[in-house]
Amino acid sequence: MAKLRLEITKGEEIRYISHLDYASAIERAIIRAKLPAAYSEGFNPHMKLSFASALAVGVTSQAEYMDIEFKEDVDLRQGVIRLTAALPLGIMVKSAKYMPAKTPALMAIVNLATYDVTVPCAAGEFVAVEDSIKRYNEDQEVLHTRETPKGRKQIEVKQYMATPISVTWQDNLVKMAIDIKITPTGSIKPGEIVAALVAMFDLKVDKDQALINRTGLYVADDKARVKPTEM
Amino acid sequence: MITLDPAILNRVLKPARYTGNEWNSVKKDHSTVAVTVALSLPDVYEVGMSNLGLKILYQILNNRTDTAAERVYAPWVDMEAEMRSHNIPLYTLESLKPVAEFDIVGFSLQYEMSYSNVLNMLDLAGIPLLSAQRDENDPLIVGGGPCTFNAEPAADFFDCFILGEGEEIIEDLVEVVAAWKRADKVDGKLGLLKKLAHIEGMYVPSLYDVTYNADNAVAQVVPNCTEAGLVVTKRVVKDLNTVGYATRPVVPYLDIVHNRIMLELFRGCTRGCRFCQAGVLYRPVRERTPETLLKFAKELVASTGYSEISLTSLSSADYSCLPTVVQSLIDEFKDQNVSISLPSLRIDSFSIELAQKLQQVRKSGLTFAPEAGSQRLRDVINKGVTEKNLEDAVGAAFAAGWSSVKLYFMMGLPTETDEDVLGIAKLAYRVLDIYKQVTGRRGAKVTISVACFVPKPHTPFEWFAQDTAAEFERKQRLLKAQLRDRNITFNWHDARTSFLEGAFARGDRRMGQVLLSAWSNGARFDGWSEHFKYNVWIEAFKAAELDPHFYATRERTLDEVMPWDHLSSGATKEFLAREYGQAIGGVLTNDCRHEQCSVCGVCQELDVKVIDWGNKA
Repeated sequence: MAKLRLEITKGEEIRYISHLDYASAIERAIIRAKLPAAYSEGFNPHMKLSFASALAVGVTSQAEYMDIEFKEDVDLRQGVIRLTAALPLGIMVKSAKYMPAKTPALMAIVNLATYDVTVPCAAGEFVAVEDSIKRYNEDQEVLHTRETPKGRKQIEVKQYMATPISVTWQDNLVKMAIDIKITPTGSIKPGEIVAALVAMFDLKVDKDQALINRTGLYVADDKARVKPTEM
Repeated sequence: MITLDPAILNRVLKPARYTGNEWNSVKKDHSTVAVTVALSLPDVYEVGMSNLGLKILYQILNNRTDTAAERVYAPWVDMEAEMRSHNIPLYTLESLKPVAEFDIVGFSLQYEMSYSNVLNMLDLAGIPLLSAQRDENDPLIVGGGPCTFNAEPAADFFDCFILGEGEEIIEDLVEVVAAWKRADKVDGKLGLLKKLAHIEGMYVPSLYDVTYNADNAVAQVVPNCTEAGLVVTKRVVKDLNTVGYATRPVVPYLDIVHNRIMLELFRGCTRGCRFCQAGVLYRPVRERTPETLLKFAKELVASTGYSEISLTSLSSADYSCLPTVVQSLIDEFKDQNVSISLPSLRIDSFSIELAQKLQQVRKSGLTFAPEAGSQRLRDVINKGVTEKNLEDAVGAAFAAGWSSVKLYFMMGLPTETDEDVLGIAKLAYRVLDIYKQVTGRRGAKVTISVACFVPKPHTPFEWFAQDTAAEFERKQRLLKAQLRDRNITFNWHDARTSFLEGAFARGDRRMGQVLLSAWSNGARFDGWSEHFKYNVWIEAFKAAELDPHFYATRERTLDEVMPWDHLSSGATKEFLAREYGQAIGGVLTNDCRHEQCSVCGVCQELDVKVIDWGNKA
């Protein structure tokens, strides 16, 4: 059984599809590409496909990772060429690498996600924006209420911050770099951080206008950040 | 081109309904084509994208180098509110161009309760609602689908209707429009409409005048110009093996209603169920060959990446070469994890064997449609199914390991008594007993789904009085009281929705006023119970001084002129009347596919033949 690890994108064209729909789109592309995907046993066989981390509706990414198991070996270059031809607009293969059979699942090793959040902001608000971010960065504890169809839940946000938020300014856009820890017990979405900034730190932006882009997923420790395809 | 504000897309439910870019969607430069067509089904994306007819037309049109066909569906209420408040006109999913800029806008009319959405979509597009208000600079608004055989209630809003199958006539339409544009839109819109009226199967309602009797029934419908024929007869494809098919359908990102390959085995059904409009409109039976089907299936798996193939038609178990086709599909795709499914089962053990072969291990529920609760009433509707057929089918299913069965019925059929209604409950309990007999255990799950019968035009019951909503509700209560077992689930249809559907199904052109006023008072998505506003519709009838009961719950005499008598499915009035008489007498009519011709008139009138490959072999 060969395990192929891919670094792929979720582009502007498909920004608004869900993680589940993204996974189905890739599954269909693999069938179209006639790649020899392996399936699980059982009543309801499914393609052996696994992702590092789900991406929310409305979020793009320049670095998603997935593992796919093949029943037989496929020439790496040929496989990527065939898959690329079958992928819809917005999904690109950036790198591919066969992994040893016993490689741990992506979900178990990826522990850091980095994002760029770009949001329009009135000129002259830069000082106020910097101040909001500074106060957020300095706060020890920030409580955010997560609302899901199942109910409300209080979450402490700061425990998931890998580094302080950094902010830059371009024309009438504020650009924030947000690095978030992914832990075995949970994580936080960048959209939730923006919501918390608006609600509690007086960030003067329309959070619905925020364009979020995942810039990387890493296996990180104190010394280094390593891409899952570079292990 | 429309630009969509991320803030809007971040606020609405399922924004992928509005952003396009799906696999197999076709984007053309409009400056390189002669004709642009926006294809629509006036319902939400997930419903519209599931329609097979539109997939076929999309491919046929886009195969032409002179035509660009794109898609547009009804925005859900949240998106509609955003579009209205931000002045975003209705746009297509391929080019994001305003629908108002297209040459042709085609609506697939699958059910009457979607008419209000047509008005809403035209309004969102900034296109004048009434055909009479539109000129040669507005898009041509075209209707297709089963409702066009009496879309008189919506006639004021459409420029023309396509009667029957679209594969060939859609190209005729495009060619006439292209020629008219090349000739600098000679004689304006009326010039175009008169040319369109020459196309076989094309109905241009504004070229006909309707007059009414003192008793409110239609007096006559007559052409008001020489270009329009006295009767418009449907288009029919003689051989389905020679026309285009949707082998490269758009593959959505969202999970739509029918999210799988649809492989259409044949068209038409001649079982002759007397309530069934599709059974009349799509006559005669024309099968595709097993070779054509296998070829399509391979192309479809390769072009879509779907891993499920649904064998569709009006009655798939009736396909003459079904075992051969199923076996060759299983052989072809056994290494690719592609599963085959049958959407509907005939009530016999043959179907159970097939279902067993297809589903292998997974035992989801089986669905059967006895339609009526007693043998007497099943004979009235010519549903050639006996109690024993059902017992055998259900017994075979339970023996094969299934434990849940869904049964579809109707109430309000002609000659129905309370005893027939209670027969539904008896059948439900009988199914539970059979499970106990077969398995020695209790615990079968039976779901009883009972629709309110809506008499439809062009059927033997087109003269029949629909039950009132109060009568439907009484019968529902009667049945509910009998279905007390916790292993039986009882679902029923909303009687008031069925009542309005009944009024629109057999309505006339005056009901355009009702549609307009109900829409302007907020009616839309009427097929969705959470958006159905009964009182708005009743007020709209009052304002138009029309009585919905006149259309829905009134028995017609056989000699009354129907609003659709100038529109022909090929089946004759004599045939329908004869069938109505046989129904009341409880006399069965055989299936002309296997036995003698029942002289409905379609083959003779339209010069077509039944094509059944099993009979030929």
